[in-house]
Amino acid sequence: MTSVLINAFKRLNLSIRPQVKVISSSYSTAVTTANSLNVTQKEWKYPPLYTKPREVWIENLDTVEEKKLGLFELHPSVYAAMPRIDIIHRNFVWQTKYRWVSWAHTKTRAEVRGGGRKPWPQKGLGRARHGSIRSPLWRGGGVAHGPRSGKTHFFMLPFHLRIHGLTSMLSAKLAQDDLHVVNNLELPTDESNYLADLIENRNWGPSVLIIDDTDIAPRNITVATDSLPHVNIMPVYGLNVYSMLKHDTLVLTLAAAERIEERILHHLNAITTEQQREFKLSQV
Amino acid sequence: MERLGTTILKSLWKPSINIVRTRYHADKTRLVRRYGYEEKLWCGGLLPRVPGKQLPIPEYRPANAWTERKALYGQNDYIDILGPGNLHPVKTLYTVPSWIRGVSGHEYHILLRKKKMFAKTGSPVVRPTKWKELQKRLGFLYRKLNRKTKTGPSPD
Repeated sequence: MTSVLINAFKRLNLSIRPQVKVISSSYSTAVTTANSLNVTQKEWKYPPLYTKPREVWIENLDTVEEKKLGLFELHPSVYAAMPRIDIIHRNFVWQTKYRWVSWAHTKTRAEVRGGGRKPWPQKGLGRARHGSIRSPLWRGGGVAHGPRSGKTHFFMLPFHLRIHGLTSMLSAKLAQDDLHVVNNLELPTDESNYLADLIENRNWGPSVLIIDDTDIAPRNITVATDSLPHVNIMPVYGLNVYSMLKHDTLVLTLAAAERIEERILHHLNAITTEQQREFKLSQV
Repeated sequence: MERLGTTILKSLWKPSINIVRTRYHADKTRLVRRYGYEEKLWCGGLLPRVPGKQLPIPEYRPANAWTERKALYGQNDYIDILGPGNLHPVKTLYTVPSWIRGVSGHEYHILLRKKKMFAKTGSPVVRPTKWKELQKRLGFLYRKLNRKTKTGPSPD
């Protein structure tokens, strides 16, 4: 009798969630017995104040056909932020530029071999005056104002712009139905055909980025993705705006989704004066 | 004596001569001037739509956009946010040589840093010409920046 009441209360709680929140340290789950749907409600360290959490289906990877294993809540500050395309673009530009070193190089007249002797006397021959055969006027001579090797384009994008880039990109992916949450990365087989069929069957874009919480992914999925160059696995700390733009679909494991949420929420609510300081070479 | 003999023979024996033509005028080809010379210039009219002669277009070979380097480009760029927080993304730029990793500046600043870092290594002894050119360039840039150009925005 009491359990029925509790279940009814929890269902009620689901519908009017923003106002009433069950306070507990662990997840409070409501299980509907009809289709055994598992709805996970989360207690965040920094709960959303004015916006409702976004819900996504938890999917599986052990069958080609999609099975909905449950509902999962995502924090709106991370997964439902305003998708600022301009900030995404600035992040993209930063990612391409901060590692870009141009190694184009030309030799000046001083560096080209030879050219020390005056080719002919200054006067008396009726020819143009020249002092060196390596002058920029000469064929085979040095280059004036040419590119010099080791030209960097380095700069650091401000810390919060980079966080905002991540949240914008995750939010855009979720809003466009390109973000999927799976329970784990266990595949029944290491055939790449299986994974290709799965991607085809579920209308995941041609390219898929799989994010896991751990560094070491299960063997089957690593073998299967090895021959699929457009399906890539990354750990959570490898996630970035460029890769999310390059890959059509983003697949997160439950643990990865929570980890991303936890890290970004931490930085959104922590004091970040250290990270916001101007970049100095001595700090790395 | 001999000459007299031939005249007598000619007067006595007169064979009939029939002229046989083996090469007729109609069979003759036109005279080819400068035989073997190839004209390099195109004299056939307007370009580019000349039937039978197409302009050379290189075969389209698209680059593989999913090589490992391109597919994983940008990995770990947000490691200070998503990682444990003790690692800066500049530290993960393994493809860039360490002396220029995270450096921004004019050529002079970059060369100064390069010289400072390379002076402790065996580079000045192993590559003396490169080292000399580096010093020479630094001297040139020092004189140019300090004596021949004004610092800051231009007055006008």
